[in-house]
Amino acid sequence: MEKEFNFAIFFCQRLDPEQDVNRRALEKELGSRIKFFTLPCSGRIESLHLMRALEAGADKVYLVTCPVGACRYKEGNTRAKKRVEFARKLIEEIGLEPERFELIHASSPFPNTIDDIARMLISREKGLTQSPLNARETKEAARNTP
Amino acid sequence: MITAERKPLPEIKESISPYKKLLIVGCGTCVAECASGGEKEVALLASALRMDAKKEGRRVEIREITLDRQCVYEFIDQLTALIDQCDAILSLGCGAGVQAIAEIFPKIHIVPALNTTFIGQTREAGLWVENCRACGDCKLDRFADVCPITRCAKSLFNGPCGGSKGGYCEVDPETPCAWHLIVTRLEESNRLDKLGSVQPPANWSKKEGKGPRKIVREDQRN
Repeated sequence: MEKEFNFAIFFCQRLDPEQDVNRRALEKELGSRIKFFTLPCSGRIESLHLMRALEAGADKVYLVTCPVGACRYKEGNTRAKKRVEFARKLIEEIGLEPERFELIHASSPFPNTIDDIARMLISREKGLTQSPLNARETKEAARNTP
Repeated sequence: MITAERKPLPEIKESISPYKKLLIVGCGTCVAECASGGEKEVALLASALRMDAKKEGRRVEIREITLDRQCVYEFIDQLTALIDQCDAILSLGCGAGVQAIAEIFPKIHIVPALNTTFIGQTREAGLWVENCRACGDCKLDRFADVCPITRCAKSLFNGPCGGSKGGYCEVDPETPCAWHLIVTRLEESNRLDKLGSVQPPANWSKKEGKGPRKIVREDQRN
């Protein structure tokens, strides 16, 4: 498990109805390095949510949606994809890697709990680098440390 | 409504580069409707500029506010308390809003963040189309409420050019032929006789050639 990176995970509440319990172990393990944001539907995501998560210190921001065709509001996860794309273009304009925002459609087989989902996502990130926003903070902190 | 699009970020960055304290001002009317300058867009731009500054090691203080309308003094007045706390204003209003703010606060640099584009309608979510050129002499009733000045690429007043294909314009094949729309609508409402009379050329002096136009209503003045 990568402990030096910060993750923000937005997800549809239908993916894990017991998410408020199931996420506690990982929150205890990673502390402030992981933040979960439940959505009534992934279609509720706004590009601003993703931007603010990155601005607040996340190195990687995920949006996990129900499988394609299985959104209870029919088009929520389709709209979510467009908003993630919009946000990716916005950060690309300022020189940040668009891959820092990633949309995941749940597809079979898929973990049943948010804990397993999060662990699966984090374990995939072998090539993840620290966000340039956080890298600069780290350098400044190191410079200021006596 | 007036529509606008956000300028490319490099252009905005260059314009605001001399400033350390920026106030980003949105408008809650037309540009909010076309998703270019409302409260949400102000927040998005502010977030992008903050991250950009942080990435480059620059210190910039960015504040955000969205006025109900940027073209009316009573709303612009809300900026009075904030003006002394910023070096420049980045306006997400249309050209009218940018200039209105500049008239009230002439000593501060107002930077436009949008390119004002046209007067139009929301055809559907995410799609805005031009349908008025503010000619000052509206004749829509003669053309089945389809403006030939705006929606005909050649601004023809007396029938189609004959170049349309399948009801679409030969100049822009993605645009419905205005005259196809006009004739179809008049046919369907039994008003084809409206095309019997010849329309004279427009009086363009109502739109062009005399500088900025104005409207005065004494009954509305203080």
